[in-house]
Amino acid sequence: MKKRLAVLLALAMTGTMILSACGGKEEDGKTSDGKVKVRFASWDEAEDVDAQQEMVDKFNAEHDDIEVTLEAYGGEFDTKISAGMGSNDTPDVMYMWNYPAYYQGLEPLDSYIESEGADYKSNFYDTLWNYNSLDGETYGIPIGFTTHALFYNKDIFAEAGIEEPTNDWTWDDVIAASKTITEKCEGKKGFSFQMKPDPYDFEMYLWSNGTAYTDKEGNLDGNLNSDKAKEVFKMFQDMEKEGYAVATEKSGTDEFRSGNTAMYVYGSWSINTLKEDGVNFGVVDIPAFAGEGDSVSILSSSGISMSKDSKNKEAAWEFIKFWTSEEMNKERIGRELPVLHSVVESEGIMEQPEYTAFYTMLEQSADYTPASFIIESWSELSENLSLSFERVFNPSAMEDVSDVLDEAAEQ
Amino acid sequence: MKQNNLMKKATPYLFILPWIIGFLVFTIGPLIFSLVMSFFDWPLTADPTFVGIGNYVKMFTSDKQFLKSLTISLKYAAIFVPLNMIIALFLAMLITQPVKGVKIFRTIYYIPTVISGVAVSILWGWILNGDYGVLNYLLSLIGIKGPKWLVDPAWALLAVIIASAFGVGSMMLIFYTDIKNIPIDVYEAAAIDGANPARQFFSITLPIITPTILFNLITSIISSFQQVTLVMLLTGGGPLKSTYFYGLYTYNNAFKHHKLGYASANAWVMFVIILCLTALVFKSSSAWVFYETEAGGTEKKKKRGGKK
Repeated sequence: MKKRLAVLLALAMTGTMILSACGGKEEDGKTSDGKVKVRFASWDEAEDVDAQQEMVDKFNAEHDDIEVTLEAYGGEFDTKISAGMGSNDTPDVMYMWNYPAYYQGLEPLDSYIESEGADYKSNFYDTLWNYNSLDGETYGIPIGFTTHALFYNKDIFAEAGIEEPTNDWTWDDVIAASKTITEKCEGKKGFSFQMKPDPYDFEMYLWSNGTAYTDKEGNLDGNLNSDKAKEVFKMFQDMEKEGYAVATEKSGTDEFRSGNTAMYVYGSWSINTLKEDGVNFGVVDIPAFAGEGDSVSILSSSGISMSKDSKNKEAAWEFIKFWTSEEMNKERIGRELPVLHSVVESEGIMEQPEYTAFYTMLEQSADYTPASFIIESWSELSENLSLSFERVFNPSAMEDVSDVLDEAAEQ
Repeated sequence: MKQNNLMKKATPYLFILPWIIGFLVFTIGPLIFSLVMSFFDWPLTADPTFVGIGNYVKMFTSDKQFLKSLTISLKYAAIFVPLNMIIALFLAMLITQPVKGVKIFRTIYYIPTVISGVAVSILWGWILNGDYGVLNYLLSLIGIKGPKWLVDPAWALLAVIIASAFGVGSMMLIFYTDIKNIPIDVYEAAAIDGANPARQFFSITLPIITPTILFNLITSIISSFQQVTLVMLLTGGGPLKSTYFYGLYTYNNAFKHHKLGYASANAWVMFVIILCLTALVFKSSSAWVFYETEAGGTEKKKKRGGKK
């Protein structure tokens, strides 16, 4: 009798385990009360997720037939989306930035966009569409972006007794100001840039100087190692060698907010931190290269995409439309820069001096395509480039620009 | 009657069935699956194609990073494993000393082991920072200008080794329990014969704990080849790829470059290397590991029986 009980117990344990592992699956993506279910994956963390949950709840309250569940993947977003796509378990709707890596798992959205009429598309800043499409097909609707701009510390400029940067500064002006600041202000450096810049971001300097990593066919040779490109790297390396700029281990924000550096180029991400710290800073356009016209910025853009395997595409589009609406653009101000012309106007974004430079840079950067959209094996190339750049900028290496770039272009 | 017998035999297995299933589904299954994957070109978002041993050929012939990363991992293991064992043994000896408050020290030495690898990485990122780090500040107090640990390729590997040695606690604990098990009368006898503490350590403690040393040696060789958290978060493989460990190389191939098949092949090569190293250590162990039961086993057993 006891034995039998034991067997029963063992079986029960196993059974529970299997059942609990398989439980909770729903057929055809519908909930028990017949609503269409849409899974939405976000990369945000902490309080941003709470804010998003509120907005998702609002959507659910307004729709009787759709139920959206928010899945916060946080910092591991890319890994989880990769894993999801690999195992046919992709969320219906997801945040997206790295289209070249994932487009094969995404639904082209052009027909959906067309069905909303011409005004829908033209309300977005035009440059943003370039960054949310690939090979002429649109895979995401823009929800946020940042360009880069030059941050400067007003107090340090006052201390050194020189004029603050303006939108028409060239790199020569930056170099001159950096020299003065480094000489006059004890322990401070004029400018900082990243020792190991993300190759994706760094291409903007090459664009500003009239070149790029690659031509339209993806050839590096003659582009990455062109004289114009070498000039850019040489300029940064010289600033570091001569000691009035510092190559930072991370983004440079820490050095800037602690008042150790007077200028750096970065995205809008740091604005809130700098404000909280009470740093007296200003933001202007990225400096131009003398004789090369307007400077150009890279775009770090985020969009929202639909899985091509979604079972409820109509409902998913309904949600995407909601998430990209004017109302939601307004909701997200403070976390993201609004992407709609109408919202930028109605909210008076352009009157806030710390934001205008990012929109000027956005408009100046319309016709550039990052190498990551051209070169198929970008993630590997990016790793190689990153190593090459580090060889140029790491103070314990400081290798010759020309040699390193020639070698990198051969790969 | 017969049925009853069968049930009797099956019962224990039924009890461990959940774990057997877990082992098959979550360990053996993925293991075999990854071996299969290693023969495919397996991108994440598109369909896999069979390439035979193509991944392995590519690894040994055209991928320069493979050998570089393997060398870095070997170098790391060669320094880290002995260093870690010596520190662990040293600490274990310390906490067996009859000192007041030894329990507090025991806890202090063990605490780092319970902290998650991510937190440890962040902590050491601050400690090792070249300009504002605590370590360089302390060095400056004794007049040494510390290197830029995480920026200078010559120092970065050492920085990672130092940070890894932080988690020495669990090995220390294993040594500790074993040392505690050595009967005190052996030491008393040695002391009467005039053996000083150093002599006691090398002639009594060390030989008796050789099985534990073997165990710690093998587990730490394996874990040192699998080190990835620390380099991923502390150095990101840099500076100048000087800490681009084999584990990180495999991880990046899979989740950054989306080459699942190639990464599986990487992992299997690592598996074979670890297997060979472990086998080698086992082979050599008969020369230096001493088991109580081996040496005059019968006599010892009798003695134990007598004690009861």
